[in-house]
Amino acid sequence: MAAVSELSDTPNQWEFSCDLEVDLESEENASIVYAALVVDKELQPDKVKRQMSISDGKLSVHFEAVEARFLRASFSAFVDVLILATKTIEELGPGMEL
Amino acid sequence: MKKMIALGFEGSANKIGVGVVTLDGTILSNPRHTYITPPGQGFLPRETAQHHLQHVLPLIKSALKTAQITPDEIDCLCYTKGPGMGAPLQVSAIVVRVLSLLWKKPVVAVNHCVAHIEMGRIVTGADDPVVLYVSGGNTQVIAYSEGRYRIFGETIDIAVGNCLDRFARVLTLSNDPSPGYNIEQLAKKGEKFIDLPYVVKGMDVSFSGILSYIEATAEEKLKNNECTPADLCYSLQETLFAMLVEITERAMAHCDTKDVLIVGGVGCNERLQEMMRTMCSERGGRLFATDDRYCIDNGAMIAYTGLLAFAHGSSTPLEETTFTQRFRTDEVHAIWREKHESGDMNGLVEG
Repeated sequence: MAAVSELSDTPNQWEFSCDLEVDLESEENASIVYAALVVDKELQPDKVKRQMSISDGKLSVHFEAVEARFLRASFSAFVDVLILATKTIEELGPGMEL
Repeated sequence: MKKMIALGFEGSANKIGVGVVTLDGTILSNPRHTYITPPGQGFLPRETAQHHLQHVLPLIKSALKTAQITPDEIDCLCYTKGPGMGAPLQVSAIVVRVLSLLWKKPVVAVNHCVAHIEMGRIVTGADDPVVLYVSGGNTQVIAYSEGRYRIFGETIDIAVGNCLDRFARVLTLSNDPSPGYNIEQLAKKGEKFIDLPYVVKGMDVSFSGILSYIEATAEEKLKNNECTPADLCYSLQETLFAMLVEITERAMAHCDTKDVLIVGGVGCNERLQEMMRTMCSERGGRLFATDDRYCIDNGAMIAYTGLLAFAHGSSTPLEETTFTQRFRTDEVHAIWREKHESGDMNGLVEG
């Protein structure tokens, strides 16, 4: 998991951005996580934008925000539900034990 | 014949629950975990969501184990769509979406208020009662009419449970097992009735002014030994519950119904049940109420209500499995309550 945050040079409303890439180790897991997380839209689309994509079993997420605090809040909330989704697959997916 | 089975998730407030039920209302398992805050403090969305995140997966395993079922045997997955706090609601929604894809099962989104009503009906056997739904987040008088649960009266500000919970914070009563329970116990020792504002506006009630009044006067009265904390709990309960009984009675007159069903967390308060029972018996009707296992938020009520909808052909496409803080009781089309031609009933029993 790697996060990179940068300030862009051009004067831009979406000044703050950050990227997240997670290796989910299979195309199937990646598509499940993507489908589960894409349903919930950002609560303040005029302040934060989130774009997701999957390839080679990896989930890539790009965040853009108008202020650092919105970027931080959105990123943090997203990581919480991302971990929930991956844990659900690990614990209740194929080969689960009760 | 195989019975239809649903797995349900509830996490709209400070309880996270997972339940397994069959279509006839049999509860195979219904574990839950409550986020209990220190005395004097309420629960906040973010912390509550963190609580749910930590407990939801162990609860699913426990629910399946107790019910002695495997995911293969489940017909549908149900979750609370709303109303409730956003962040805690999201936990159930995410888990249900992932499980739906993992286990290849359909999803049914459920209205929390309607789930309380259906759970109350199946547990008590009340067929078509006037429903008083009282909890920490909701206060509504409801009756079924033409496909929907119609709201006859409701609070115009805070819920009755919220009023009680916040008064418990003033007295720094414990939140374990719930602030309302501790107020109820203390109220039994109350002897002196303190006059409080009584605010019924037509079919609606208002509690925030009463809370402000008692918050503003409690400290002074206690300091001057004018009354005890028990007297205040007793007086608050008597006043709030009298208001609820009044609007329920008015709804009964409107609907020409004699039966009353109380659901929601405040519904397990025995003093409220006693006052309502007195009113019902004076009108020649019956009171239906349940204990804390069913009254308080739980996964089984969501599973059962979702399964009712599913058995009548309704499910929610994955891309529509959202959650919402506001979701009124009367927005739901209660398809399972409509009268069907005998030919339509076949789908009900096939698993």
